Amino acid sequence: MSGHKLSLVVNGERVEADVPSNRLLSEFLRDDLALTGTKRGCETGVCGACSVLVDGDVVKSCLSLAVQMNGREITTVEGLGRVGALHPLQQQFMEKGGLQCGYCTPGFLMAAVDLLKRNPNPDDAEIREGLSGNLCRCTGYQGIVDAIRSTAEAGHGA
Amino acid sequence: MSYLTPKSTEEALALLGQAGADVLAGGTDFFPSRGTRPQTRSILDLGQIDSLRGIEKTARGWRIGAMTTWSQIQRADLPPAFDALKRAAREVGSVQIQNRGTIAGNLCNASPAADGVPPLLALNAEVEIGSPGATRRVALSDFVTGVRRVALSPGELVLAVHVPSLPDDAVSHFLKLGSRRYLVISIAMTAAVLELDGPRIATARVAVGACSPVAQRLPGLEAALVGLTAAEVAALPVVPETHLAPLAPIADVRGSAAYRMRAVADLCRRTVIAAMTGGTTDE
Amino acid sequence: MPDTLAHPVRFGSNAGQPVTRRDGIAKVTGTATFTADNSPENLLHAVYVPATIARGRVTHLDVAAAEAHPGVTMVMTPGNRPALQGDPSAKPTMFSFRIEVLQDDSVRYAGQPIALVLGETLEAATEGARLLNPRYAAEPARTRIDDDEAAPVEPGGFGRPAGVEHGDVAAGHAAATKAIDVTYETSAQYHNAMETHAVVAQWEGDKLSLDVPSQALLMSCAGYAYFFGIPAENVTIRAPYLGGGFGSKAIPTGPQVLAILAAKETGRPVKLMLTRQQMFGPVGHRGATRQRLRLGIDDGAALTVIDHEGLAATSSFDDFVEPAANASQGLYAAGALRSAHRAVRLDVGTPGPMRAPGEASGSAALECAMDEMAEAAGIDPLEFRLRNYAETEPGTGKPYSSKALRECYMQGAERFGWSGRPLLPRQMKDENGLLTGWGMGTALFPCPMFAADARATLRSDGSALVETSAIDMGQGAWTALAQIAADSLGLPLDMVEFRAGHSSLPDGGVAGGSGHTATAGGALHAAGGDVIRQLGEIAAADPESPLHGAGNAAFSARDGRLYVDGDDSRSDSFADILARAGSAELVGNGSASRAPEDAEKFSMHSHGAVFAEVKVDPDLCQVRVTRMVGAFAAGRIINPKLAESQLLGGMIWGISFALHEEAKHDPRTGRIVNADFAGYHVPVNADVTGLEVLTVHEDDPYVNALGIKGVGEIGIVGSVGAIANAIWHATGHRIRRFPIRIEDLLTA
Repeated sequence: MSGHKLSLVVNGERVEADVPSNRLLSEFLRDDLALTGTKRGCETGVCGACSVLVDGDVVKSCLSLAVQMNGREITTVEGLGRVGALHPLQQQFMEKGGLQCGYCTPGFLMAAVDLLKRNPNPDDAEIREGLSGNLCRCTGYQGIVDAIRSTAEAGHGA
Repeated sequence: MSYLTPKSTEEALALLGQAGADVLAGGTDFFPSRGTRPQTRSILDLGQIDSLRGIEKTARGWRIGAMTTWSQIQRADLPPAFDALKRAAREVGSVQIQNRGTIAGNLCNASPAADGVPPLLALNAEVEIGSPGATRRVALSDFVTGVRRVALSPGELVLAVHVPSLPDDAVSHFLKLGSRRYLVISIAMTAAVLELDGPRIATARVAVGACSPVAQRLPGLEAALVGLTAAEVAALPVVPETHLAPLAPIADVRGSAAYRMRAVADLCRRTVIAAMTGGTTDE
Repeated sequence: MPDTLAHPVRFGSNAGQPVTRRDGIAKVTGTATFTADNSPENLLHAVYVPATIARGRVTHLDVAAAEAHPGVTMVMTPGNRPALQGDPSAKPTMFSFRIEVLQDDSVRYAGQPIALVLGETLEAATEGARLLNPRYAAEPARTRIDDDEAAPVEPGGFGRPAGVEHGDVAAGHAAATKAIDVTYETSAQYHNAMETHAVVAQWEGDKLSLDVPSQALLMSCAGYAYFFGIPAENVTIRAPYLGGGFGSKAIPTGPQVLAILAAKETGRPVKLMLTRQQMFGPVGHRGATRQRLRLGIDDGAALTVIDHEGLAATSSFDDFVEPAANASQGLYAAGALRSAHRAVRLDVGTPGPMRAPGEASGSAALECAMDEMAEAAGIDPLEFRLRNYAETEPGTGKPYSSKALRECYMQGAERFGWSGRPLLPRQMKDENGLLTGWGMGTALFPCPMFAADARATLRSDGSALVETSAIDMGQGAWTALAQIAADSLGLPLDMVEFRAGHSSLPDGGVAGGSGHTATAGGALHAAGGDVIRQLGEIAAADPESPLHGAGNAAFSARDGRLYVDGDDSRSDSFADILARAGSAELVGNGSASRAPEDAEKFSMHSHGAVFAEVKVDPDLCQVRVTRMVGAFAAGRIINPKLAESQLLGGMIWGISFALHEEAKHDPRTGRIVNADFAGYHVPVNADVTGLEVLTVHEDDPYVNALGIKGVGEIGIVGSVGAIANAIWHATGHRIRRFPIRIEDLLTA
């Protein structure tokens, strides 16, 4: 498989890589960069577990080739916040019980970031619509909505 | 497999002529639809061609660049005649898909359930197609020819979608029916674009998706709507079957044929009424 | 040596608190490590090829094309598969089923592995698998339940349910003044945990290290060991987190065994992760059922008979039969009671336990039948259930260890506003003209216990380490079990380090059957108690301890100190006791399982009542569940926040069962045509609004030492029927097939 030069910014750091042109962004993040917070869940762009931000917009990383990301800026859950410096959404997902098995959680967080960026004060219906690209099989949907609402109410929406 | 990233339309067309590559737009259906088939051809990624993105007002209407995403369409400053298209844009997959998926990708995929097609049919959209040294335009209704089939010759690329001018007060609406609230591939969807004369319909264009191999306009219904008020549309007993004649729904995992026919009749009426009343009926 | 009756505070300040998940921080930061997140050096990637027919033989695979693809290192087919020491048709452990590991060229269902491709990269292995281009000699696939092909089930333990017959069933039928005879169907459903099945396998000599999501670590070690002819203790499993299990991750599956075999053969670590599509086949599912229910009542609307016959689909080569009819065994007082099972063999993967196995499907049918019977009697469905309330276990007459179902009915109905419900259907419309209906269902779930061990180590600084190989698949084991452990030691939660999710730890048992918190928690409770007992002995014998000589008194432990019961002036700190004894640490062990005499004496069940409101578009027949209230009595609730989350999740599974989930087979090939998340629908966020959970406290001294009944599965049980009954109430239509589709309502 022909390799391809790739230069991008991931979680604020410049990354130069040589990747096979058929490697998906999700596999590049997980296998090449060891950013395993981004999960693989369906490979068909439905479940949202692989959601990341590309230039600030949430996308499904299982639907992009890594090589398409040349020159782009990517944020994964690891770039959202870390222990001791959590993003307000991470804090609220924890406190409101917006997670169970946790597998879908990084994807939901990235979708929530995109949602609050576009709409800092969403109502519940808008939250549910904004998260409709993410599946949770533990079906912890109520806690997730609560977490996003309380993040917005605390003024962390923008 | 090689991966090609042209920086201009001309370069893209030249590469396409040489290589016979698979064209990658937003990519949201590219990998899922490949299934278990090996990837043998080169991939031509249009993502680096800036001129293919964006919406502009032209002398005769609007030009929507082929690589314009559904999120961009939702956020664009467009008159009410585009409300149907914007509503359809909100229904394409999910936010993540809307951020990547493009208008031309949706058309070229030619899924019977493509969300973008009914509103664009109702807008009388045309497709601008480029080949080395030439461009041509075809009506959208002639462009999509079957399930996963479009009127593109080898070496051709869709460059833009054109929507002819409409009166400023033209209105529109789009409804989609699915069993789950989101992430749904439609059971049926309808789009209506109406020009009004006071409270009455002056011209109507109604299109239905997911109920035939290619989304269809309903000329019989469109003619019958002329002159009616919203209240009169609401009072129509049923949509006559002859008006639905262009449709040929199939039974699949998402719904039986009979159900689709019955649902679409009701959806059409609701869509027209919602367009006239600025209704927010959500399905 | 005097008797030392050191019993720690039974329930201290930790259990019962809505403590925030201790694993939350790892999960929101993306640092929680799931199986496929592990990538050891020198890793090979495995991809298997699933059969695309349901019955027949593989006649050709283009092995040469796959092998020629750059990066492909090995193609394993029935022709060259290295030997396994174990028999693929054997069942080495509880829950095992017969697996497909390329033992021959036959195809028994679509999705079965027919080849395994190894590559230096995932892309290479994937492309190699695509190039195999299988050809088949296909036979007609059998994928529909056909009564004529059904055979009675020979009872035989797991997967082969026995029926029951209590009282005179014929007389019960004869005595009925009103009767119904209805048949309900449920569809095949697939677990589809968000994390697909995966394994990362590494061999070192005859020692095997696995990262593998497992709901039963020690049992899985034994299972894998069997296939490779090594002692169970040679297998180590790491599974700190599972991305959901729902019953599908308890035992070895064919694809996982093949990947381990590939690692052995190549001498390199191998990773396999199933795709979403591959989850529809070799890893179990909830088998389709067709259930006939005949109910009769007398003039007072007392049930004279419940006669429940279940017919369930199973595979052509194995035996798991959905024990649906068993749902009728323990719930309503009926003059006579019969449950029986038959099975029909289809060309599908072997079904297995899926969240509330038996109860979910069986209750769906039973609760609808109860609603139909209430309709026939002309009385309110809740009133009808109260008239047939079982004060003791139907048939056996055993007392319940505890049963607060009546309180669930009352509190749920009150909260929901049930008393305003019109008796007849099609009476309510909302402001938008949508038909509105209310329905209810009763929930019942047994409270089994497995067996588990645990170890508690008190350290010299007064903190503790507690260990068991417990499993967290989302239910909150990291938190709830730590709360129990802290209480057993009389320590604040933050003084307790909890280790789980590794097979080298004491056997935490099985995370399943809603019995994990009770079982692993019981073992932790006992281990902590053992530490406190020893500590009491040391202190009582230590002349320098304020507790000296108090050996015949009982001690209680709280906040890191040991107290003489009833005399707070006499206490000693854990750290001081250990320091004076010169001990760096004190180790206690515990185990838990159900006391056989209690199991014999009592009927042990969780109960609940679910009330649902639906709205139905009168023209399009779209159904939305707009409101649900579930009231559940499940013994002691260790962590209300986690328990509520489990119960809500169960209720949403009920919505999913009632309205969404169904695997559909192509009748020609037998393939599942909607084998992905685009086609196999589960609810999204926007489908779920207005859900509420109430818990009704029960003190149950018999179920186990902690009084825990479990909450993992009961939420789904009453919910399915409640929704279907609400749809009837809204529309007047009984749809006797799940999921209820809009076209069923339209053509009803």
